[in-house]
Amino acid sequence: MKRVQTTKLILWLVVGFAAAVGITRFLYGLGVTTNLNDATPWGLWIGFDVMAGVALAAGGFVITAIVYIMKREEFRPIVKPAVLTAFLGYIAVIISLLFDLGLPWNIWHMLVFWNPHSPLFEVGWCVMLYTTVLLLEFSPVPLEASSRYAKIRTFLLRFRFPLVMLGIMLSTLHQSSLGSLFLIMPYKSYPLWYSDILPILFFISAVALGLMMITLESLATSHLYRRHAETELLSKLAGASVWVLSVYLLVKLSDIVIAGESNLIFNGSWESTLFIVEILMGVLGPIVIFSIPQFRQSQKWLWAGSIMVVFGMVFNRINVGGLTMMGITGDSYFPSWMEISISAGVLSAAVLLFLFAVEKFHVWETSPRHPEAEPTSRPHFDRASQVWLGAPSVAGRTKYSLAFLFSFAVAVAIIPGNDINSKGAVSVPTMAARGGDTLYIDGNRDLYGVAFKHEMHISQNGQKQSCALCHHMNIPMDKQSGCYRCHKLMYQESDAFGHQWHSSPQGGNIACVQCHEEGQERMAVSAKKCDRCHRDLLPEGARIKYERNIAPSYVDAMHRLCVDCHKEKALTLEGKEDLARCARCHETVPPEYMSPEAPVFGNKPYFNRVMMPGAESLLKADD
Amino acid sequence: MQTLLELAQGPLFRLTFAIMALGLLRIFILDIWGAIEAYRKAGDKNIPWKQAIKKTLGWLFPVRKAFGSRPVYSLLSILFHTGLILVPIFLFAHVELWKSGTGLGWITLPKSWADYLTLSTIIFGLALFFGRIAVRAASFLSRKQDYLWPLILIVPFITGYICAHAGVTPAGYRFYMLIHILSAELIFVLLPFTKIAHCVLMPLSQLVATLAWRFPPDTDEPVAISLNKKGVPV
Repeated sequence: MKRVQTTKLILWLVVGFAAAVGITRFLYGLGVTTNLNDATPWGLWIGFDVMAGVALAAGGFVITAIVYIMKREEFRPIVKPAVLTAFLGYIAVIISLLFDLGLPWNIWHMLVFWNPHSPLFEVGWCVMLYTTVLLLEFSPVPLEASSRYAKIRTFLLRFRFPLVMLGIMLSTLHQSSLGSLFLIMPYKSYPLWYSDILPILFFISAVALGLMMITLESLATSHLYRRHAETELLSKLAGASVWVLSVYLLVKLSDIVIAGESNLIFNGSWESTLFIVEILMGVLGPIVIFSIPQFRQSQKWLWAGSIMVVFGMVFNRINVGGLTMMGITGDSYFPSWMEISISAGVLSAAVLLFLFAVEKFHVWETSPRHPEAEPTSRPHFDRASQVWLGAPSVAGRTKYSLAFLFSFAVAVAIIPGNDINSKGAVSVPTMAARGGDTLYIDGNRDLYGVAFKHEMHISQNGQKQSCALCHHMNIPMDKQSGCYRCHKLMYQESDAFGHQWHSSPQGGNIACVQCHEEGQERMAVSAKKCDRCHRDLLPEGARIKYERNIAPSYVDAMHRLCVDCHKEKALTLEGKEDLARCARCHETVPPEYMSPEAPVFGNKPYFNRVMMPGAESLLKADD
Repeated sequence: MQTLLELAQGPLFRLTFAIMALGLLRIFILDIWGAIEAYRKAGDKNIPWKQAIKKTLGWLFPVRKAFGSRPVYSLLSILFHTGLILVPIFLFAHVELWKSGTGLGWITLPKSWADYLTLSTIIFGLALFFGRIAVRAASFLSRKQDYLWPLILIVPFITGYICAHAGVTPAGYRFYMLIHILSAELIFVLLPFTKIAHCVLMPLSQLVATLAWRFPPDTDEPVAISLNKKGVPV
């Protein structure tokens, strides 16, 4: 049983490390924890955790179909573990999705705000429903433990067949619609992986993967718990997978040939290498291995073949999910160690739950029994502390919690503390703008900006008196200091208080004790507030609120000023409901319209840049 | 020296603080878990909850309880604990560090109070140490860690006091600061694994004792047999 304990200890170490990284992700966001960007918005978490995760959980629907629809009763012993694997797999997918969503707290939106045109909507609903079905399908097993729930159990068992039907239907739908997701990017995916029949390919490969996942899981657990592996059953599954894989290969190759893309397979590009590796590892190799009856009967070859299919199909999902798009987007992406550790952590947690369920409930024909838990067994003294840590469950509790604790602490220590800040903030200085009829507010100074009708705002808000609404005259003697004087940077806040200047002769030669009370530590927090001396810091009726000595970034300041006011006005003015919408001021244009002379920061194509209204014609005139 | 100081202030601090926070949480949860298991196994489910809670509160706020058999020791201990808890948490400089690191701040001790409490902690810590050596009954019961703890605990207080009243050269300041941080980090790591764990287990101690000292159902007979007291009234 040492095998199980060591495995669990390692899994707990991984989970502990990932837990700390996971907290960092939720505290500081995607920009800090991932290597994703606008050109590569989907990375390891979608490619491996979601795309491959859903496919890996396919064993559930494959085996229930075999047993309940095809009536192959001999496979019944492996139904429960397969359903459990599928259920945990889907839970893991949902958890990973929470990490990957920019606004994870909005995950429920799909329930209320329907977008029936989106394949993602269909995937989301299917996954939600299927997870529920799997829960209902599996729950009779843990309910067995207590007679209190006998009624619920019999109720659920009565509906087993409809549930199985529903489960198979839902899986068929979303296993294939995961492929449909990529139909919307025909020009971003490499042609070898893009196909109009991607949904069908995804479905067939999911069936093959489901068969092989059951095999692999059965082999792995029989190794762990030293129990007898169901080799007879597994060899039958392997035999079936030969057929499924052959169909997959046939459909895939003929699709490529019909599309006239067969020349791409051997053109020597790195995509062609990926493709050959994928087909050899995930399809051709296993077909060859499992076609030989002796190999199907041998555990070693079953191990080899099932691992090849699993890796090959995971590789395929990662390829479709984004790896092969890099050649076209021109962006390079490799997951950061934080992304990898979270993926590993979610996977480890799912395995731990699986082992827990297997030990606790009646998942297999015979539940594994811990030899140290026998009533007659002698106490096993811990080597380090020379004490008996109690029965295996108690001893495990002590050790696993320590493992979790230490790896969590290590992760907390190595996650850079002070360096955690948003990678998105680039220091872009702002420029002066003064008066005039229409101001052109240029967000990134890349020709995409907003036309701000300055004159119109003055006349609508009450002529000269209204200047103070937006302009705060915070520099003494200067009655119209421009925004750029304090909001110095486009995306970063800056210090609005000149400490050196205040103590210099030009700044009034102010002694320290004027602001810092004597005897107190001289720090910003213990100093006097600015408005104690600068009484007219903000004019009467200003919209701005003075909080700290820090000027927010230019973009933030402008947005707050405009958006807040527009939101208010949208409520009071009739027929102006759209006033607070982004597109009211920002017009979207695709990059094709950009002038080649236009200075662009960065070299990646961005699709949602905004452009000054009317600038389009200006740019065209330049051509 | 500077690199060492940065290491101690950065990664090492985060490592040790996380071990402390999670370690304390861990033993707290394991204790509650153990208590629940003990309750489930208990044959006699009539637990005197009220009495246990009353006793716990009595020990948490030792107003009358403490000055029973060893009034001097109790007084010293209470005074020692006051400074020990208040100064690290409510010192102005510490709160400032938390604020710059996490954005969270809280009320702070006035400087003079902090000074007096620091000095009192040092003095009472030493008094407790010597008391343990001098008093026969105490030294008889003591383990090695019982002598070490008062000494380890006052190190950050002494070095912290020196740094706060910077009458030293910059090099000296850095040295004392390094000792201050490292000793505090040593305490952090040891906290959940030694007797100092009572800082979180204290509220449970009475409850666990009340729950645990009950025999599981049908075990009284074998226990009586193995004690050679079969049939003897307990």
